Amino acid sequence: MQPTLELRDLRKTFDGAKAVDGVSLSVPPGTVFGLLGPNGAGKTTTIRMLMDIIGPDSGEVEVFGHRRTRADLDRIGYLPEERGLYRKMTVREQLIYLGELHGLSKKTLGARADDWLERLGIGSRAKSKVEELSKGMQQKIQLAGTLIHDPELLVLDEPFSGLDPINQALFKDVLAAHKAAGKTLLFSTHVMEQAEKLCDHIALIAAGRVVLGGDLAAIKRERGADRYRLVADGDVDKVRGIAGVAAVAAKNGHVEVTAAPGTDGGALLRELVSFLSVREFRSAEPTLEEIFVEAVGDAQL
Amino acid sequence: MPNFDRILVIAKRDYLSRVRTPAFWITTVILPLLMSGWVVLPSLIMSKSRGGLRLAVVDETGKVAPVLAKEIAGVSGAEGPKIDLTLKIEPPAADAGAQRKELDRRALGDEIDAWLWITPKVFDDNKVEYHGRTLSNFITLERVERLLTRVVREQRLAAAGYDAKKVEKLVEGVDLAKTQVTEKGGRAGGGIGDIILAAGLFIILYMTIIIYGQMMMHGVLEEKANRVVEVIVSTTTPAQLMAGKLVGICGVALTQIGVWLLSAAVVTGPLMAARLPAGASANLPTLSPTIIAHFIALFLLGFVLYASWYALIGAAFNSPQEAQQLASIGVFFVVVPWMVFMPVLNDPDSTMATVISLIPLFTPMIMMLRIAVKMPPAWQLALAYTLTLLADLGMVWLCARVYRVGILMYGKKPSIKEIWRWTRYA
Repeated sequence: MQPTLELRDLRKTFDGAKAVDGVSLSVPPGTVFGLLGPNGAGKTTTIRMLMDIIGPDSGEVEVFGHRRTRADLDRIGYLPEERGLYRKMTVREQLIYLGELHGLSKKTLGARADDWLERLGIGSRAKSKVEELSKGMQQKIQLAGTLIHDPELLVLDEPFSGLDPINQALFKDVLAAHKAAGKTLLFSTHVMEQAEKLCDHIALIAAGRVVLGGDLAAIKRERGADRYRLVADGDVDKVRGIAGVAAVAAKNGHVEVTAAPGTDGGALLRELVSFLSVREFRSAEPTLEEIFVEAVGDAQL
Repeated sequence: MPNFDRILVIAKRDYLSRVRTPAFWITTVILPLLMSGWVVLPSLIMSKSRGGLRLAVVDETGKVAPVLAKEIAGVSGAEGPKIDLTLKIEPPAADAGAQRKELDRRALGDEIDAWLWITPKVFDDNKVEYHGRTLSNFITLERVERLLTRVVREQRLAAAGYDAKKVEKLVEGVDLAKTQVTEKGGRAGGGIGDIILAAGLFIILYMTIIIYGQMMMHGVLEEKANRVVEVIVSTTTPAQLMAGKLVGICGVALTQIGVWLLSAAVVTGPLMAARLPAGASANLPTLSPTIIAHFIALFLLGFVLYASWYALIGAAFNSPQEAQQLASIGVFFVVVPWMVFMPVLNDPDSTMATVISLIPLFTPMIMMLRIAVKMPPAWQLALAYTLTLLADLGMVWLCARVYRVGILMYGKKPSIKEIWRWTRYA
């Protein structure tokens, strides 16, 4: 299937510093894509280039199967990292205004704004000025403003930063509903736990370059293929001497066994049960956090 | 490709969010009130104030004071503002020093306001001593001076053997009976009215360009401070956002100017003329459609020039404090027309006036001044409009380049060099 979004070799240099240094990635339709990386890795610059907020020095952006045009931006919902609302505008006017900027009519938007305010439980505040609302409510309105034109692709830059736990849950629900409707989502974060729970696909960016990318489950499987988590009673030290074992590391409450290349997990387990009372033996997939630290460490060496 | 729908959406928001505020309507209504108050109040105050001056006179000559008393009784109110003078003639005492002290005491004790001491020397050195509790009542003092001058002159003429009345008749001054030559034929006594009109249009242009230019700056700064700007430019280009803001704020300004011109038309129109005594209405300026058209056109050209400069400043910096330095450059350029205001008014076709009115930064205000007093040649108007339009385009282009980078920059205050570098980004 044609990717919803495709970046090809995007580059951007600011006053001699390479902010983005050849980023390519592909977001399949209907997936949640995580753009991950430490602060200053080039995530925001990449996103701004895909949104045509800044122009790339070179490279291409394709959305919905063709080169991105200005009209395509009306089908994208964008929540920047630096976000805010007009403080003096009323909530409802604000939502309608953001929708009008996507080329929708006032009539359509009035009904949609009311729906959203109802859904977020702030229907009674429709006529309040934004500055009169709590920060939590403002965040809800910001989210509604991003979705008011019912975009096919959502692009969120650090969407969870600064959210209270209730809004974090709300954002996740709304994003899940977006995905359930068959739509696509790309978001950036430096918090790996969030990405691990939400993403189908990832691209890890460090120093302006993609150091790791693809299907998250596949990446984890690949990275964890030769590693096993073992909990057993008996002479665990003897494991080190087995032919098919490359390394053994004692972890908190368990042992991590790295199999030598070509060694089958089943064969290893049969070997282990011969001298140990095995209580647990399973594939030890690394967490995204571990993958991240490892990959970024590699990139920076 | 400019997307006019989006520009309109932005302009509408910027327009409505400002026109809906009470502050807008308060300033819109207050300025005409202030302006008319500015014209009416001083004459109102002068005509109402008694300006009462209780004056004691010690006249060593014995010849001046009695005539002075007669003059005051006879001509009071016939010319100039009415001043209520009360004269009390004191005979010179033997001890002049003691009498002076006594007069000072009476002045301080509020029995009199001031006292005059006239010596025979007045016929040679033209000096009369005046001692008063206050010396800032310059209008009253000038009137006293004029009266004394006349009395002393008459005495001198009489002493030299002339008939004072006859001489006065012979040396009477000449008045210019002014008629301005226009396309539509002569118009009597237009002078003062035209100057008031020119000054009024000039001041309104100056104020609106500065105020609405700065409104542009604050609008951009606000969008940056709110962090709403990046949300907006994800569907519109920065150039569209800037264009929309320019159009919206320009609309606010035109609304206000419209109200002002309308009230000016009412004030100078038949309504006012009917209330004025015959003859006085000839001095009222006429706000012709041609002048209004030029005014609006010059406002638009000036607004775009200065407001895009202010948009650049608003985009480049993070707070009004940071922006102050560059913003004051804008103010400096609109101050120059003030400095040449009088010379241009006096000789609107001089080389200096022509040259300055052709410099785009000054064209809006100086050309307005020239048009209001004497219509410049068509080629000068055409050249001025063309040059200013080109300057506008250049300014908008430059400012849009800075704007598009600046609105995404937060944190550190950028240096002028950095801002210049932004213009060259892809």
